[in-house]
Amino acid sequence: MQSLSPCNETLDGQGRTRPIWAPVLNAMAAIGKGESRRRAAALNRHLGLAAPLGVPAGQLYDPLPAPLTAAEFAVLEEGVRQRAALLSHVLEDLYGPQTLLSSGDLPPALVLGDPHFLRPLHTRSRLASPRLGLYAADIIRVPDGSFRVMRDHTGVIPGLGHALTLRRLATGTLPELFRGGGLRSLRPGREMLLDHLQRRAEGGLVAVLSGRAGPIGDPGHDAFDDALLARALGVLLIEPGDLATRHGALHMKTLSGLLHVALLVRGVSGIDLDPLEQGGRPGAGIPGAFGAIRAGVLAMLNAPGSALVEARALRPYIQAKAEALTGMAAQLEMAGLDTVALASRAPFLGSEENTVWAPFCFRLFAWMDGEDWQVLPGGIALPLPWPSVPAGLGLKDVWVLEGEEPRIISGAPPAEPPEKVKFLAAAHLPSRLADNLFWLGRSVERLEAATRLLMVAIPRLESGTSLPRDLAERALISRCLGQSGLLPSEAAGSALSGRLLRQTLARRRPIAGLLKEVARLVDASSERLSPSMLATVRFALQQTQEALPDEEASLPTLLSFAATFAGIAAENMSRDGGWLFLEMGRRLERGETLAATLGILLDGPPERMEPGMALAIEWADSVLSYELRHAGILAPGPVLAMLLADPANPRALAFQCNALRACLDRLGAEDDAETVRNLLQDVLDLASSGGTLRSRLSAIAARLRQISDRVQRRFFTLLPEAHTLEDNEVLEAAQ
Amino acid sequence: MTLYRLHHATTYDYAEPVVTGTHFMHLLPRGRPGQVVREAHLVISPSPDTRRDEIDHFGNHTTSISLAGTHKQFSVNLSATVDASLPAPPAAWDTPRWEAIAAWGLRDAEVAEFCLPSKLAMPASEIADYAAVSFLPGRSILDAVQELNRRIFTEMNYKPGVTNTFTTAQEILRIRAGVCQDYAHLMLACLRALGLPGRYISGYLRTVPPPGQAKRRGADQSHAWVSAWAGAEIGWVDFDPTNNLLVHDEHVTLAWGRDFEDVSPLRGIILGGGRHSLHVGVDLEPVLT
Repeated sequence: MQSLSPCNETLDGQGRTRPIWAPVLNAMAAIGKGESRRRAAALNRHLGLAAPLGVPAGQLYDPLPAPLTAAEFAVLEEGVRQRAALLSHVLEDLYGPQTLLSSGDLPPALVLGDPHFLRPLHTRSRLASPRLGLYAADIIRVPDGSFRVMRDHTGVIPGLGHALTLRRLATGTLPELFRGGGLRSLRPGREMLLDHLQRRAEGGLVAVLSGRAGPIGDPGHDAFDDALLARALGVLLIEPGDLATRHGALHMKTLSGLLHVALLVRGVSGIDLDPLEQGGRPGAGIPGAFGAIRAGVLAMLNAPGSALVEARALRPYIQAKAEALTGMAAQLEMAGLDTVALASRAPFLGSEENTVWAPFCFRLFAWMDGEDWQVLPGGIALPLPWPSVPAGLGLKDVWVLEGEEPRIISGAPPAEPPEKVKFLAAAHLPSRLADNLFWLGRSVERLEAATRLLMVAIPRLESGTSLPRDLAERALISRCLGQSGLLPSEAAGSALSGRLLRQTLARRRPIAGLLKEVARLVDASSERLSPSMLATVRFALQQTQEALPDEEASLPTLLSFAATFAGIAAENMSRDGGWLFLEMGRRLERGETLAATLGILLDGPPERMEPGMALAIEWADSVLSYELRHAGILAPGPVLAMLLADPANPRALAFQCNALRACLDRLGAEDDAETVRNLLQDVLDLASSGGTLRSRLSAIAARLRQISDRVQRRFFTLLPEAHTLEDNEVLEAAQ
Repeated sequence: MTLYRLHHATTYDYAEPVVTGTHFMHLLPRGRPGQVVREAHLVISPSPDTRRDEIDHFGNHTTSISLAGTHKQFSVNLSATVDASLPAPPAAWDTPRWEAIAAWGLRDAEVAEFCLPSKLAMPASEIADYAAVSFLPGRSILDAVQELNRRIFTEMNYKPGVTNTFTTAQEILRIRAGVCQDYAHLMLACLRALGLPGRYISGYLRTVPPPGQAKRRGADQSHAWVSAWAGAEIGWVDFDPTNNLLVHDEHVTLAWGRDFEDVSPLRGIILGGGRHSLHVGVDLEPVLT
């Protein structure tokens, strides 16, 4: 007779602590409750730092592992392997000859009526790659101590990214637990998997296709898991919008043009994946993906439609065919509907004071290596929802021990060696990211320029004197405000007062708008900003937003945000790919603003230029340098030399040209670099000749805008937006 | 058998150049019992840089192409020679009771999916009520389907422009108007509401009717009708509710599926192009032998 109450994972049949749990429980007892909680917090904090998409909220990982003995794993491994082979066999049949339907073994209505049965992938001959390449099983331990499969994952494989990341982080956070030798490493498995993926791609790109929008930390539905998987494997993370179909194959839009994508680990549903064959918005999927898969020029793990065999209703029919299709009786039984009630309980460090005992399942992962199914010796353990169990428990690392019985703990910690991260060449930077970084650079600079202008403007507009010099300054300032878009041009007349400026700012809130755009672009570029950079930038953004209600008082905070951003970009970003675009955006924006603003401030005959020169020097933050070099005596020659031609002044036009040219050279855009070189020469000529500055400076601003357009066309807008030719037009036109 | 020569020309003229285009077509006619395709060609201009001719889940011919060069016009011309003469079904009263067909349909792997709802031909209670009038208990299947075919023909208004390719059977029943595609979707939803298998057939109708007969609706264009299943022995029998016809030798089948979405003749995703205009010409003429 089997007992119906669920078993305690840490105890054996006689109620004694199981040997595999003893080291875990002892280590936790030795550390103490308070320290355990701090370690749990540290584990999740480390995840935040490792996370490509920023810090997820709450507790995602639980530091206590879920160990399995070698013997237990051997049983599970055999069972998972058989289950994967069985489901693979069924999938190949249902998407091929359908003998299981014609024989009546599987009810046709259940298969053909399932939304995951994707007719476009039903083919006469087999696809070039197996439809099932990755598999995961959720397995519980029932009261008699045996294992049952609760759920299959054959479509999107959720949690593999978490499994590979959790182990790496846990070894560092709880070294005490890992002091015991004999724990099987995930590293050989991960390398075999990556090696297999790359061999199958035959030189084409391998990438994780993401696009799942779900709550972070909901394993199976978060883009976070995709990002972790891409990081763990050292492959690209891409979205449907990064891909284009050419010559019937898929290509990624990158800076160096279209690169052939040969293999995708699919993180998005197969339903509505191909708008060409299934209808739907072209931007939401990958037009032509199905044709590429059928033609064998694209492999997907797993093929679209493979989620079909996850269906609960099909399970008993599939299970009944296990022996006939795999040549041996089913190794693992299926769990019934009372799954959670029967699942064994394990300790979790919840958010409360005491350990929480919760039902859980093991999720094990397997992949087809071309010959056989390989099972990862580890995985994740997921808490199952149950009335008495609080929500928000974390995922556990599944341990597989090496020996038959755990040995007495001794020896060096088997910490995993450092990750072997592949260098992602700048050329492989997706155009979408380069585009976002370029605009991020521009928008931060735009914010800074606006802030500086207001800091120069407000005190001057406040002063009420009607001395000719003050009047001249006010007129210039109001033209600059109009030109920068901070004031509508009709308000930028000479009668501008401090009060009017404040009222206009309060009404139109231009600074808030600029800051919002910066925040949007930070989010859109987050996967190429390092975690600490992202955390710092977001923190600074938040502070700035809090200071914003009073736009005038917030000016120093805004300037400090711009400085933080510039500093962190300079000191924390590697100088390839992404940084080059951030830098180009900043330099183009600063160059254009400089040319346009100086065109206003230095407009007029030399004898009337003084107020404008003083403003220009102050606005460009060059007062001190000018004082030191020229003892404060304003004259057009030295002012132009400093603001236009000085290659050492980071706020001079020449400096922007040099920086821009360096970026274009690095990106191999030689013709554009040459254009910038010519532009620099004109800037230098202008500085030495003087004369009619206004028109020549606006010509330079216009040329910078042209260069910006060319950069965008060259690197980002490889493709205009796609749209669908509606097929109803064929009928309508005929009618 | 009647031998037909078929021409179907589709031309898109774009206001702006199209940079690339990817198109997926159901434009080569399939074979079936009672229809032999002697020859069929698709001439595509500009010449595609890749072209794949495949057979889909339903056994239809599909063609996928990609156009990489910039172009301002895209045309597809189908020319085919087809023998068409569907076998005459047995007398309507001499066919199985419709309940027997409904009981068997879901269990047959070949027909099960045609009993199930699809997006454009989804049963609903009003549709079931509408259909029930013709499907009295114990009535033979073809007798009932024939009456449904006649009722849809009489009770619907043939009216181009009031519906589009996304219009569902439920809306059609409400407005009682539409074109061939809508007639077919309504009839399919009626059959499926009763658990009966029905296929959507896309194809063509001869341009000039046989001597002495009225001009048909849906000639000169892509046409659509319905195939109903009358059991394993009799198989599929085609009805044209737009013309109140039992399909015999005036129709040429192009492709079939659960509804229009499965067999849309020409679908494409293009980059660039701006506004465009479309010209379609269909010609189905018997060849005198």
